Amino acid sequence: MSFLNPIMLAGLAAVSVPIIIHLLNRRKFQKVMWAAMRFLKISVEQNQRRMRIEDMILLALRCLLLMLLALALARPAILSNSTDVFGQSKVTGVIILDNSQSMGVSDGAMTRFDKARQAAEQALDSMPAGSASAVFLASDIVRGSIPEPTFDFNLARKIIREAPLTDRATDLFPAIEKAIDTLKGRLVIRKEIFLITDGQAAGWRQLTEIQNVLEKTRTEIKSHIILVGEHEEKNLGVSELRLASGLSPVKQPLRFEVKVSNYGKEERRDTRVSLSVDGEPPCDEFTVDALPAGATKSVSLFAKLRTEGFHSVTARIPEDRLPADDKRTVAVRAIKEVRVLLVDGEPGNEPRDGETFFLRHALVPVPSEFAEEYFVKSKTITGPEFSQARLDDYDAVVLANVADFSEATLKNIEQYLRRGGGLLIFPGGRVNVTFYNEQLLKRFNFLPAALGQLRGEADQDEKYTTLQEKDYTHPVVSIWNDPASGTLGSARFFRAFELKPAPATTPKAERGRKPKDEKPQEAGDPQIILKFADDTPAVMERTWGLGRVVLFSSTADNAWNDLPVRLAFVPLVHRALGSIVQRQDEGLNLRVGEKFARRVNMEFLDKDATVFKPRQTDAVRDLRRIEMGGGWPLLQYDHTDLSGIYEASVVDPPLALKFAAQPDPGESSMDELSQAQIKTLKDVANVIPWTPNLSLRGMVEKDRSGLEFWLPIVIAALLVGVVETFLAQWFSRSK
Amino acid sequence: MDQAHIEQLLDPVAISRAESLGLNARYIVEGYMAGEHKSPYRGFAIEFAQHREYTHGDDPRHLDWKVLGRTDRYYIKQYEQETNYVANILLDGSESMKYGSGKLTKLQYGKMMAACLAYLILHQRDAVALGLFDTTMRDYSPRSDSHATIHKLLTKLAAFEPKDQTNIATVLHDMARQIRRKGIVIVISDFFDDEQKVLEGIQHLRFGGNEVVVFHLMDPYELEFPFTGLVEFEGLEQVPKILTRPSEVRKSYLREVEAFRLRLRDGCEKNQCHYLLVNTAQPLHEVLSGYLAFRLRTTTR
Repeated sequence: MSFLNPIMLAGLAAVSVPIIIHLLNRRKFQKVMWAAMRFLKISVEQNQRRMRIEDMILLALRCLLLMLLALALARPAILSNSTDVFGQSKVTGVIILDNSQSMGVSDGAMTRFDKARQAAEQALDSMPAGSASAVFLASDIVRGSIPEPTFDFNLARKIIREAPLTDRATDLFPAIEKAIDTLKGRLVIRKEIFLITDGQAAGWRQLTEIQNVLEKTRTEIKSHIILVGEHEEKNLGVSELRLASGLSPVKQPLRFEVKVSNYGKEERRDTRVSLSVDGEPPCDEFTVDALPAGATKSVSLFAKLRTEGFHSVTARIPEDRLPADDKRTVAVRAIKEVRVLLVDGEPGNEPRDGETFFLRHALVPVPSEFAEEYFVKSKTITGPEFSQARLDDYDAVVLANVADFSEATLKNIEQYLRRGGGLLIFPGGRVNVTFYNEQLLKRFNFLPAALGQLRGEADQDEKYTTLQEKDYTHPVVSIWNDPASGTLGSARFFRAFELKPAPATTPKAERGRKPKDEKPQEAGDPQIILKFADDTPAVMERTWGLGRVVLFSSTADNAWNDLPVRLAFVPLVHRALGSIVQRQDEGLNLRVGEKFARRVNMEFLDKDATVFKPRQTDAVRDLRRIEMGGGWPLLQYDHTDLSGIYEASVVDPPLALKFAAQPDPGESSMDELSQAQIKTLKDVANVIPWTPNLSLRGMVEKDRSGLEFWLPIVIAALLVGVVETFLAQWFSRSK
Repeated sequence: MDQAHIEQLLDPVAISRAESLGLNARYIVEGYMAGEHKSPYRGFAIEFAQHREYTHGDDPRHLDWKVLGRTDRYYIKQYEQETNYVANILLDGSESMKYGSGKLTKLQYGKMMAACLAYLILHQRDAVALGLFDTTMRDYSPRSDSHATIHKLLTKLAAFEPKDQTNIATVLHDMARQIRRKGIVIVISDFFDDEQKVLEGIQHLRFGGNEVVVFHLMDPYELEFPFTGLVEFEGLEQVPKILTRPSEVRKSYLREVEAFRLRLRDGCEKNQCHYLLVNTAQPLHEVLSGYLAFRLRTTTR
């Protein structure tokens, strides 16, 4: 026996009310001077005893009436599994429907999600009349389609039937927590959670927490875990797709790296991997001979982008039972040409002596007759000319051994970086270290590191340091993790500046405190691109505004090192340039569920952008207003529940861009809860493996008996009230 | 006591309201006389009653000489009474008489009744004696047939204030002993006393040859007991208070009152006295004229 509203038990104190009224009334009477006392005395003596007994009876009845009312308000209830005398009590439930990507696994006829929807409807059907239910859709976020329990089961059915499957990852713990929160405060006797999921192990990472929280509320809330979907042994998936080339020029073959993973338990042979651009027929393909269980193979495929602008590139393998992970799409912005301004701080007398000689050739690594057609265009100027240059004409500016420059140039650079320009800085013997450290770093925060001491001597070739040979983490150098790409480790550095990393500009704790009116933080955190073998930084970068600054520690020519004559120099420079040019496009590819945000020009402020979602008809589109965020007009979109390419466009002024969302490769895993885990779950919940012919009703009904007693108590109180009224009349009649 | 008080006592309606209705009071008495042309106190007049044979010991003064001369028989001429009757009005002045639910207390009503009767009797040139009593005779005005006496009586009545409990029986016994001339004894009281003893007193008076008329005054509330709610009754004579819900004991109370009244009436009837229950809510003139009419009917028969 328990009370659903125990606070009302305090109402039992109301029992004292009739007694108090009785006592108060005894003090409130009419006084009469009376002559005929002798008759009165006789009659009172005759009736006194009877009247007192009647009074006591009435008092007792009134107290009982109030007690019953207080009791009824406290809503006593009894939970019993043994008796079904009272029939089923009403249920207030929460149906949690897992709509993560793995629910898309099909058995040929139905997907797991179809089954889950059926199971959810059965769960609704199993609730007795008068029940209420909420419906949550759970993936890595919880979406309350019906956040509060509703009595409108038709609505609930509609919501369940129309529930969308997403490509999100799974995490069931927040959903369970939210469901418990929703049910906790409710004044009902039967609270139930129906969690309908596929039992994919990835969703139960927080199994212990789930168990704890279910255990804690077990007496109050009954949980049913309904596992839909049969065991699936085989699954292949495209686990990664990325542009491996540093730059994405038009009409040039671009290398894409595709990773194909076998999540199944047996080896798969002859898996055809294809790459297509903008939904056209495949432009390149490769067949993976053998893919052992659990293994991942990386495949390089090439594609050409024909026009400038945004393109979608999709890698596919043949569809299996989970089609959602059999393709992966990235958005790529193709660029027509990259213009680079080389500022030579030490031109020398002959071209060969120039500081930028090697750079110029590395940037345009084609014979001079083809240089006109090559997508990288470079122009070389000297230090003094730098102040006259129009920086906005160039995508990147390389400063090679430039001593210092004027205040006006500093301001120009600031504007240039803010708008998305890139700066590549190579030091050298002419560099004014104080100017670099004071102006470029301390004042403007352009540099990712301070120039420290010079180490080593340039005029000898015995003592040198080398670059790291493995564990490349930065995307610019990550291709060298694959030995087939050559090596960086062979280059010798005789002399170099020590790079002392600048302090991080965005300490996490301070982020929230920044007042809005302050200038937005423009300098990003310094990052190490490349290290020397002794673990000191060799190349560092930081973002600044929309642009990026890359700082080398040694010269661009072969004065202090022999890197420029090594094979790796060309790709390194190209990739560094790519990281600068594609700085703006970093946000184009995101995880499913992540928010897309892209700075656009001022002219788009307060315009509406139309967003088309992947795998939807053109009729389904979302409108997003472009609003100010962080001091810049931002196009934002957060409904990235589906993987694939999203297209956003503004009609006037014209703007069209694409971005892509990619699913969590973890969702492709077919690992399920182990028997041991299911057993532990059974301790805290009713685990039901669902099959289409299963009677869910029978399985959940058997322990739903129980009763709330307020109705009988109210009826009893009513009866007591009637009896009281009758007796009061009867007693007070004249005798 | 000034004229106003006296007028008030003779004025049943305005006794608690105004003094201007004195005419009405007079109207009751005088109106009666004008309508009937006969005094209801017929017995008080000097009137021949019957002849009786002379027996030894009779006063020869009463021999009817004319009859003796004509028939040679000795007859004695009997008169009803040579002198006027003496009416003893006994008014209960105990504290219980102070009760009154309406405008008049029982005592006020009794005073008016006594005053009116006295006025009426004196008007017929009969003698009136007035006694006010509680445990004992508190105030006694000896008989007088002077018209002027009425003022004295009224003054006394007006000035009287009750003090004590009732002991009717003792007073009646005393009266019975004191009265030397047979007359009418009119007792006006609520008789909240031991009715057995009261009846014994009445019997004693009757034994002395007096006619006894009992006016039993009851307040309408005492007769109906219409109280509701919780009421504390404070006795006018008896000390302990009683807290009760009167509506619940009404029936039993009324039963008690009725039984008491019946005992009293039966006792009176046994002693051949007139018993009249007077509800003080009734106008005095109704009560008096009703009784006097009744009396006229019974005595002339």
